[in-house]
Amino acid sequence: MTSTLKGITLKGSAEMVAEFFSFGINSILYQRGIYPPETFSRVTHYDMSLQLTTDPKLKNYLTNVVTQLKEWLFECTVQKLVLVITCLETNEVLERWQFDIECDKSAKESSAPREKSIKTIQDEIRSVIRQITATVTFLPLLETPCAFDLLVYTDKDLVVPDKWEESGPQIIDQSEEVRLRSFTTSIHKVNSMVAYKKTDSA
Amino acid sequence: MDLEDDTTVLTTLKSFNTFISRPEHPQRLMERSAGSGFLQSQYKRSMELLEAAERVHTQHRYLQLDQEKKQMELSHKRARFELEKAASDSARDFEHEVDRNQELLGQIKKLEEKETEVTKNLSEQVEANRALRMNLEGLNKKLEERDTKLNAANQTITSLKDEIREMRQRIQNQDLTISARTLENQELQEQLDLQRRKYQEVSKLCQSLQAAQSSCSEHVIKIKDLERRLALQEQDIVIVKSVKSEVARVPDLEKEIKRLRDDNTFLRESRENCSLLKEEVEGLRRKLERMEKTKEELANMELEKEKLAEKLQAWENLGQSTGLNIRKPEDLSREVIQIQQREIALKEQNYALSSRVRSLERSQSELRAELTQQGGRTLEDQKKREAQDSLVWRLQRRVLLLTKERDGMRSILESYDTELASTEYSPQLSRRLREAEDILQKTQNHNTEMEAQLTKAQEETGALKLQLQRVELELETIKKQQASAADSCSLVTKEEVNILRQKIEDLEKERQRLEEENNILEMRLERHNLQGDYDPLKTRVVHLKMNPTSAAKQQRQQEVESLQEEVTRLRELVRSLQDGGMMGLSHDDSGMKNPSLSLSLPPSKEVQDLRKQMESSELRNQRLKEVFQKKIQEFRTVCYVLTGYQIDITTENQYRLTSVYAEHMEDSLLFKKGSNGTMQLMETEFSKTLGEMVALHLHHQKSIPAFLSAVTLDLFSRQTTV
Repeated sequence: MTSTLKGITLKGSAEMVAEFFSFGINSILYQRGIYPPETFSRVTHYDMSLQLTTDPKLKNYLTNVVTQLKEWLFECTVQKLVLVITCLETNEVLERWQFDIECDKSAKESSAPREKSIKTIQDEIRSVIRQITATVTFLPLLETPCAFDLLVYTDKDLVVPDKWEESGPQIIDQSEEVRLRSFTTSIHKVNSMVAYKKTDSA
Repeated sequence: MDLEDDTTVLTTLKSFNTFISRPEHPQRLMERSAGSGFLQSQYKRSMELLEAAERVHTQHRYLQLDQEKKQMELSHKRARFELEKAASDSARDFEHEVDRNQELLGQIKKLEEKETEVTKNLSEQVEANRALRMNLEGLNKKLEERDTKLNAANQTITSLKDEIREMRQRIQNQDLTISARTLENQELQEQLDLQRRKYQEVSKLCQSLQAAQSSCSEHVIKIKDLERRLALQEQDIVIVKSVKSEVARVPDLEKEIKRLRDDNTFLRESRENCSLLKEEVEGLRRKLERMEKTKEELANMELEKEKLAEKLQAWENLGQSTGLNIRKPEDLSREVIQIQQREIALKEQNYALSSRVRSLERSQSELRAELTQQGGRTLEDQKKREAQDSLVWRLQRRVLLLTKERDGMRSILESYDTELASTEYSPQLSRRLREAEDILQKTQNHNTEMEAQLTKAQEETGALKLQLQRVELELETIKKQQASAADSCSLVTKEEVNILRQKIEDLEKERQRLEEENNILEMRLERHNLQGDYDPLKTRVVHLKMNPTSAAKQQRQQEVESLQEEVTRLRELVRSLQDGGMMGLSHDDSGMKNPSLSLSLPPSKEVQDLRKQMESSELRNQRLKEVFQKKIQEFRTVCYVLTGYQIDITTENQYRLTSVYAEHMEDSLLFKKGSNGTMQLMETEFSKTLGEMVALHLHHQKSIPAFLSAVTLDLFSRQTTV
């Protein structure tokens, strides 16, 4: 880890961003109540307490996605990661948590580490996750049973792996968007935002 | 226990009532019989009284009749005695009869009860019989079926036996064949041995043959080898011949080599040349590339040029349209400069003109002021003139008046003159006349003066008016001049400037509009991006096939299906229940048909079972009650008949005994069971009359049965005697 203390490499950046997604998705699922709160356990990471799922199916799914995502982050072929929350009764998309990923493709050629300490990156990540937690105050309540899906926007020339398939963008009809904080590892920049369905009362 | 107690009480009461109601007849009869005895004695007494009366009245017949009467008395006494005897006999008989009657009634009751019992039994038996018959029929059917089966089985057995026999025969046959076969087999084995031996011999022969063949093949190989060598030798010979011919050709070849070497050197040189050429070619190629690039650039330039030419054309057009001779930018600039200069000059002109205009305006205003002054003055003059006119007019009137006066005076004077020609007043008068003439002269002079003044003033005003007109004309001309000057100087430049300004404004507006549009589009793009839109040419969206949403959807689908199935099932069930209604049997049948239905029905079945059990237990209870009642009744009647007492339980531990021979219905004995099990006699109206017996049997002998039997005997004797 001595190398990471000095700076950050492409590999380290990909791992860091993938880790952020893992924690971020977990906390969204916990905060939005997609899975019951008793299936989550408390862990401390980024100097803050976070919720991680204990549901074996969900765990398996998330590890599958995150490992694949790490690969793509390393190849700099991923553009967006979107967490879509769908209402099961009406099949309507209610929320879209979008993480735009800007890859610095020049990092692929030059393997020299970038000058940015892990601590500052983690600080940025922490503030993003805090903001995700805070969004619950203004997002409309999910009253019906919902399920989530993870969409990955990739470059067109990417070969889709066996387990994956193409999907629609799952755009919300009549949405309100809120931009959240962003963070950068100086190789990958992640802009986060949430779009939610406009309710009639609002 | 309470229930049984109640029943016993009820039954005892009932029986007692029946008992009570029955024996009334005989008692009445008894009374009648007792009454008849009493009448007899009365009768006798009356007879005696009658006899006494008769004796008083018929003393004389007394003696006659005394004997007769004594005989009659004797006979009457005998008859009375006989009658009494007969009465007592009949009473006794009657009592016997009553007893018998009671017994018979009891018997009848019992018989009736028995009959009802029997009928019940009979009905039960009949039912049982029917059930048994049904069973029997079922059993018969089964028996028949079994018989038929048995028959079939027997038939099959016989057939099987036949088969077995056949099989045995076959087996025997086969045994026979097997033995034959074994025999054959032995023979064949012997033959086989023989064959084997033959085979061994043959194999030996074969081996020898093979050895021979191998030697033969070796020979053949040798032959072939030799043949090959021969061929090789022949080939060698041919080669040698060819070599020889080639050797003959060697000098030629050497020449050729030399030539080739020359060629080689030449080629080498040429190769060097070639490399040089190649370099050149490369250089040329590069040049070509550069040329191409330059060509492209040229094309681009041409395009640009065209664009520029277009622009130029536009400019030229503009020039043409504006009527200026613009061919080059310098022209344009020159033109512009010229225009600017011209503009400046014009502006200067303009300024000059405007200053002139201003000065003119100032002078005009001054002139106006003057004019107004002049106007004022003319007005004053006019007023003066008017005043003078009026004055003149008045003066003329006065002159007229004076002339008239003068004329009058003259006439008067003339008259005077005529009258007083040359009188003393004439000098005076002439003086006065002269004086008047002088005054007239003066006024006339004044008048003319005034007139002259008036004409002068009029002339002056006319002059002023003329001046005013002149000034006005001047002003107008100046104004016209000014307007024309302004028009003429800025006519061209202003138009141009206006056009250019308008164009600039238009362009500015367009630029702003485009900027706004651009902003809006950027905003929209941003918004689309935020909403998750993407460029399908550059991006593709992927997700895991097995994602939680699809899994959840699938699960939900399955749930819905299962629920729908259940709903249809339940709907059917409800329908069937509605159809079934009261028909429990058909309900059961449907349950048998539909397994799902029977699954949901066990509770009702259980309930039915329980209900059946309950019914049977209730029935059993009822039966037991009936039996107990019957037995108790029987026991009680037996007790009653044997002991002569009807025992009733009035309250807890209190027993009331009523004798068969009791004289009154309410004559009864009351016993109380003590805590230690001993019975104590309670005091009743009836027991009070039995003081002796109580003292003797209870206090002395201490035996209740003895007391009771004594009471019975006493009552019996009381009833039978009299």
